[in-house]
Amino acid sequence: MKEIIIVIRPKKVNATKEVLTALGFPSMTAIPVLGRGKQKGIAGEVNIEYRPGILEENKSGGMKYVPKRYLSIVVSDENVEAVIEAIIKVNQTGQFGDGKIFICPVEDAIRIRTDEQGNEAIS
Amino acid sequence: MKMLKAIVRPEITDTIADALAEAGFYSMTKINAFGRGKQNGIMVGSVHYDELPKTIIMLVLEDEAVDKALKIIKYKAYTGNFGDGKIFITPVDRVMTVRTGETGL
Repeated sequence: MKEIIIVIRPKKVNATKEVLTALGFPSMTAIPVLGRGKQKGIAGEVNIEYRPGILEENKSGGMKYVPKRYLSIVVSDENVEAVIEAIIKVNQTGQFGDGKIFICPVEDAIRIRTDEQGNEAIS
Repeated sequence: MKMLKAIVRPEITDTIADALAEAGFYSMTKINAFGRGKQNGIMVGSVHYDELPKTIIMLVLEDEAVDKALKIIKYKAYTGNFGDGKIFITPVDRVMTVRTGETGL
């Protein structure tokens, strides 16, 4: 079992949900979060020519954090590739800020209603 | 790779984020959360607060960078009182960038 944690653009959440539902993985947890990546917030993400040196003068300029949506999806090992592929296909715009995918191991899952364990609990 | 989830005081998150940025760990995610610890919330006068607001700082690092980041978080989040928070370290199998589809941080 693997937990796929993705941090994506808020406006791509609906499209991602639709695709994952079509693939047969409708269950997920979504949390609105703030974050930043290698590009240091939103600075440098806009399409404007800066006067040389202006970025060095004003280091704290721009947005410190960018609003993102954090989705956590737990799937069995053999479905990981399919889910990742779908997520990348939907969320890829080619611009900075498309997000990251983290794949973490999960030891066990339990469905509280029926006490099922393991892969049955997430299928 | 390891994922660090540090549950810290909300007012101190920006200090930690700045300190981490200075050390080169710029990428991070902030999650607002509510929770309680061993002390079962807090008593203020006769009012009992069961769940206290906290912020989760989530960052994913290469194994060898973990100790350095931990040191910074521990140092900046420390006040000596109850409620300073916890840090959880979990393994991460793989990281991918959506824009390029590449594997790795």
